[in-house]
Amino acid sequence: MLSVKNIDVAYGHARVLHDISLELEAGSMVFMAGRNGAGKTTFLKSIAGFMKPIAGSISFLGRDISGMAPEKVALMGIRYVFQDKRVFSNLTVRENLELAAYPVKEKTSHAIEKVMSIYPKMDKFLNLRAGSLSGGQRQILLIGRALVGDPKLLLVDEPTEGLAAGTINDILNVLAVMKGKVSMIIVEQNLSVVGMLAEKVYIMREGKIVQTCTSKEEIADKERLEQYL
Amino acid sequence: MINTIAYGLTIGAILYIISIGLSLTFGTMRIVNFAHGFVYTIGAYLLITSLPMVRDNFFLAAVIAVVAVIPIAYAIERFVIRKLYGVSIDYAIIATYAVVLIGVDSIKWIWGASPIPLSDPIGKYVNIFSVTLPMYRVLIIILALVIFGVLTVFFKKTIVGKIVTASLEDKDAVKSLGINVDKYFSIVFVIGSCLAALGGVLYAPITSVHPYMGMMVLLISFAVVLVGGLGNIKGTFVSAFVLGLIMAITGRYWGPAAETMVFVVMGIVLIFKPVEV
Repeated sequence: MLSVKNIDVAYGHARVLHDISLELEAGSMVFMAGRNGAGKTTFLKSIAGFMKPIAGSISFLGRDISGMAPEKVALMGIRYVFQDKRVFSNLTVRENLELAAYPVKEKTSHAIEKVMSIYPKMDKFLNLRAGSLSGGQRQILLIGRALVGDPKLLLVDEPTEGLAAGTINDILNVLAVMKGKVSMIIVEQNLSVVGMLAEKVYIMREGKIVQTCTSKEEIADKERLEQYL
Repeated sequence: MINTIAYGLTIGAILYIISIGLSLTFGTMRIVNFAHGFVYTIGAYLLITSLPMVRDNFFLAAVIAVVAVIPIAYAIERFVIRKLYGVSIDYAIIATYAVVLIGVDSIKWIWGASPIPLSDPIGKYVNIFSVTLPMYRVLIIILALVIFGVLTVFFKKTIVGKIVTASLEDKDAVKSLGINVDKYFSIVFVIGSCLAALGGVLYAPITSVHPYMGMMVLLISFAVVLVGGLGNIKGTFVSAFVLGLIMAITGRYWGPAAETMVFVVMGIVLIFKPVEV
């Protein structure tokens, strides 16, 4: 489904990703882990079209998307969920979903149903300003918003960052409901979350993938993973 | 004094009409657009050209002038502004200032450099609270209120308005939904330019029309935008009328300080509410 081949990405003259390759199959859920500054977010941004690789290629469903504009990448079925819970805080929850439904020509009511299917409590917040939601609710809105239009691949950046334990469970439930239905690449530092959901974990360090964990034992081995973080 | 306040409200109304476009382009695109002053000026000159074509019917000529600005605004957006998205603010200042210089020289070449006076297009007066005011100025104030109402509904109720509101907050997040933000920026830019041209058209009969008329108005409009908040429809509205009143009241007691006082107020506001660009 997604094939990343030997990409290099740079901010000006500073190269931040070196020769990264990754293959993703339809319906799989993989995690990217690594220290701050390892290049995880840059990697997601490169797939989403916000960064243009200076070398290598990214293809999605057989089509080269390297350097394609973010809005075009999104319309191809790849949605990027930013870190920092970036909802449109001046719009209501309903309007946030209306905006997501507009480019994919989906009815707002369908978009709302989609979010309700992963988080029924959102019903109570539809007419509230998104800026008034809690961190966890914002994150769920962001994931729900990204699901509008039936994307094929979600790129989720640090979904549990800064959230309380109880709220993390809500996010975990949402991600578990989506597992298998849509492919996901998730950047996550919380190894408990990684251990519970990951089918594959890529460890990044200094702009390179230095380790790939594929077996359940490897993924569940927190101590081993921690040495990379 | 009531006359002074009425004059201040007229200035405020025109400042609002001019500044709202500047506020939106500044707020959405983060571009300091000096070309806005040129669009304001060209609006007034297009009015002068249109008047003989419609037998001096001011309101018809005004519509023609505003509509005629659309291709000019689109060309500025397409060939100058669009190249400046995401680059340093310095480039935007230099490039849009170049548009002003080219525009002013073009105006001088086409229409000449001499000021062109225009008379009050209505020439009637109304009596409000025992004060006689030119009907034209009252109409300008009403028009500003109507534009404020229309824009408020536009940004709250239409999908284009919501996209622009969301883009003011987080352009990349809007792109990540599959929305071509640049297309909507173009729409905002053209709407803002048409309003600037309308400002020039409306102000032409109050002052004279000359190639540099947009320069000082532009600087005052920047003050309105900074005081009101980038992309803030309501803030710009309040700021324009308050600064318009300050200009009129200061001018009544000390004429030369009228415009300076606007920048004094802006400075005070920026001390307590710095702007993030």
